[in-house]
Amino acid sequence: MIKKLAIWILAGLLFLVSCDKTPVDPPDTTDNTKPKISGTLEIEFRVPGSFLPPSRVLRADLSIAKDAESLYKGRFLQMANVYNSKLMYQFDLAPGVYYYQAGIICVAEGDSCSAASFPGGRFGMKWAIGTAEVKQDKTTHVVPQFTR
Amino acid sequence: MYIKKKKTWLRLILAVMAAGFVASCETGIDINTDNQDVPIVYCVLNSADSFQYVRIQKTYLIDQAALDFPPEQDSMLFKGEIVVTMERWSGGKVMETVRFAPTNEIPKDSGFFPYEKNILYKAKAKIVPNQIYRLYIYLGSKEKILYAEASSLGNLTVIDPMPLTQRKISLYPGTNYTCRWQPVENAGVYQVSIRFSYKETIGGVTKIKYLDWPQTFASPGSDAEYLSNDISGSRFMHILEDNLKSGDGIVREVIGLNFQIVSGSMEMKYYIESTAPSEGALMEKPVYSNITNGIGLFCSVARIDVNDLLLSPVAIDSIAYGQFTKTLGFLDHTNDRDSTNKL
Repeated sequence: MIKKLAIWILAGLLFLVSCDKTPVDPPDTTDNTKPKISGTLEIEFRVPGSFLPPSRVLRADLSIAKDAESLYKGRFLQMANVYNSKLMYQFDLAPGVYYYQAGIICVAEGDSCSAASFPGGRFGMKWAIGTAEVKQDKTTHVVPQFTR
Repeated sequence: MYIKKKKTWLRLILAVMAAGFVASCETGIDINTDNQDVPIVYCVLNSADSFQYVRIQKTYLIDQAALDFPPEQDSMLFKGEIVVTMERWSGGKVMETVRFAPTNEIPKDSGFFPYEKNILYKAKAKIVPNQIYRLYIYLGSKEKILYAEASSLGNLTVIDPMPLTQRKISLYPGTNYTCRWQPVENAGVYQVSIRFSYKETIGGVTKIKYLDWPQTFASPGSDAEYLSNDISGSRFMHILEDNLKSGDGIVREVIGLNFQIVSGSMEMKYYIESTAPSEGALMEKPVYSNITNGIGLFCSVARIDVNDLLLSPVAIDSIAYGQFTKTLGFLDHTNDRDSTNKL
């Protein structure tokens, strides 16, 4: 009887000693930048055609803001790196309505940019502004429309 | 009696000779041979520069512990006549010959090795793409000619970033930047380097400072239309956190980014590989050299700088208020530290 008791006490002690009560931090695998509940805003950033060569009108800006005031003040939620070779841009956002702006720039020399209605001539920019509703686990697709 | 005396003398002489022989023995072994004065030559032809430079030094040998006693300046330089010439070859013909002249216009960084006299050899030469260059160095003191050959690279064309300040760069956690360029003929290795410029004000004194962030080497792909290097926005924030001091009274303002895209020839690739840390069983690798009658490197690089690019307002605000960099004192894109701007 005493022998059994001793074995049980020893086993219990061993169990207690082996327990490490200090919590171990799990590796942080969460992406802090991605909202937990999110949808995707996909912007098809087409550069409108004109009499200018395609290499003279380039994508320059693609920004997302929470409301019109933030867009106006330049307080953006996200800004994409735009490239000549990339058409589709995706943003992971929490569900809601967002404002976006897309900008194109004219780099042609002479008065070609003015003739193509780019304000200020060379390095003048045109903007397309719009809204899009992002829904949970869904992709909202928009195509910014530029005026001629 | 006479013979006995003679024998005693003979024994005495032999004993003295044996004692002298034993006393003259030295137990130390000289493990060093004489210094061979091996020439060390480095020349990286740069197509982005109109002047080219050659560095010529020699091996040195000292009897003390090498890491405790830096060498004398003169022990690393050759005396006597040194003639440095370079030929440009195309289609089996010499198209151009240039002669280098000594200069000390570029100071050497201070450190273990002597830096007072940094003698280089300089020549005005624009590097023509896809040509063969031959370097000849005559060392009068050794009556020796060193020789090396390298091919110049093709033209480097950078696709992204474009030199367009309106196209702002976004680099923050979750948003990376992709740098792209077209493959270069004869290139064996590529590297993108970023220079982050900022204003720093401490105690009313403002200085413009910069932080260089070289990316890992990239190798040429197989028949790729373009090559690319992804620059991590998260890593950028960590680089700032690790390299800039935080403290009260420090105010910093973001200026922008400069990109430097460099392509190196095959010789440079072999040299980088041979000097990289060893992996696996082979712990000691011979360092690559393409200098005949010496050691060193003669190779070429092509470089494009895309300067004065601006960071996007979101990236600037991320630096100002982000979890890794918020203590560094950076102003946000409206040039203040107003928390209502916090994203």
